[in-house]
Amino acid sequence: MSRQDPSDLQRYSLTAQLGHWLTALLLCAAFPIGFYMVELALSPTKLKLFSYHKWIGVTVFALVLLRLLWRSVSPPPPSPAMPSWALRTAQITHRLLYLLLLAVPLSGWLMSSAKGFQTVYLAQLPIPDLIGKDPALGAALESVHWILNKMLLGAITLHVAAALKHHFVDRDAVLLRMLPALRRSTPLAAHGER
Amino acid sequence: MPPSQAPSLPRSQARLHPGWLRPLMLALPLLVFGHGVEAAPRVVDSGASQISFSVKQMGVAVDGRFTRYSASIDLDTEHPEQSKARIEVDISSLDTGTPEADAIAIDTPWLNANAFPKAVFESTAVRSLGPNRYQAEGQLTIRGSTRAISVPFTTTALPDGRLRAQGEFTLNRTDFGIGGGEWNQGDLVADAVPVRFNLVLSPAPSP
Repeated sequence: MSRQDPSDLQRYSLTAQLGHWLTALLLCAAFPIGFYMVELALSPTKLKLFSYHKWIGVTVFALVLLRLLWRSVSPPPPSPAMPSWALRTAQITHRLLYLLLLAVPLSGWLMSSAKGFQTVYLAQLPIPDLIGKDPALGAALESVHWILNKMLLGAITLHVAAALKHHFVDRDAVLLRMLPALRRSTPLAAHGER
Repeated sequence: MPPSQAPSLPRSQARLHPGWLRPLMLALPLLVFGHGVEAAPRVVDSGASQISFSVKQMGVAVDGRFTRYSASIDLDTEHPEQSKARIEVDISSLDTGTPEADAIAIDTPWLNANAFPKAVFESTAVRSLGPNRYQAEGQLTIRGSTRAISVPFTTTALPDGRLRAQGEFTLNRTDFGIGGGEWNQGDLVADAVPVRFNLVLSPAPSP
């Protein structure tokens, strides 16, 4: 199989991998918290979950900016061979993911301001309100935040499904590029297996 | 004024103003400076006034205001120590702009509006801190608890004869037992609650 430790495998840099999986981890928390908290009646738990959700959103936003910066400095490795439609779909999906990972926290921040609740990162750092309290605008931005999140969930589903398909069906190195080289921790061990 | 002329002054006054005029002379300053000396209490213009507060939860300030209150303020700008103020705030008129938060705020663990419908401030002393600057000492009663507080405020005379009194003080909500139980875990909700007021008082009625 070509995907088993192909000699020409070029992985994402460890920095890029860290950024990717940290984003994934944060989203694994932000989505369930977000869906759960909006159903709760006002309580200390609800207030805490809202704060955590917003802090995660701010973190994701900052992290994605750093990842884009890193990507411009350290371009991703070349993609394994695949049909041009697949390459183009992957490219569009990745751009959409980056866009939504910025737009979703932005819409949440603006919604929060419009509803009269400032975002205070980690209960310490107040993030200025770009817009003032405006209930009608708050309701509109709530819809925007909801729709953008549905789009983000859709893009993530496509992203994960494609990665799994590449790994288990096409059996190529697409997913391996985003994983650290655990099996080849020492060159000696790698030679010893052969 | 040369000392030699001083003794002649009462005599000349007596000559100019016969006895029957004297009460009127004494009343004249009252008519001119009436609202400074012995005015009936001014009433607050609710439409132009605000009483607001800010509660911090996890660093996020949630602002609210009271829309119904009454005030009887006898602010004697000439003799501040003779001033008196009593302000009654209708707790159920609390408005944060978020109905869900309003319901929590007037519920039993917080302000308990059913049992304690009014918050009352009653001044005990007012002293001048400088031009148009005062400090009121008084008793603040919220949720059945009374605490002594100091309230600094400034006044501005408005062109239409009304008087604006504005200031700010900070109360500790736990002093009044506001917000108990699950709401007091950790530092979820800050203890210090800044309260701001901007009261526009009607022109003092003539005595």
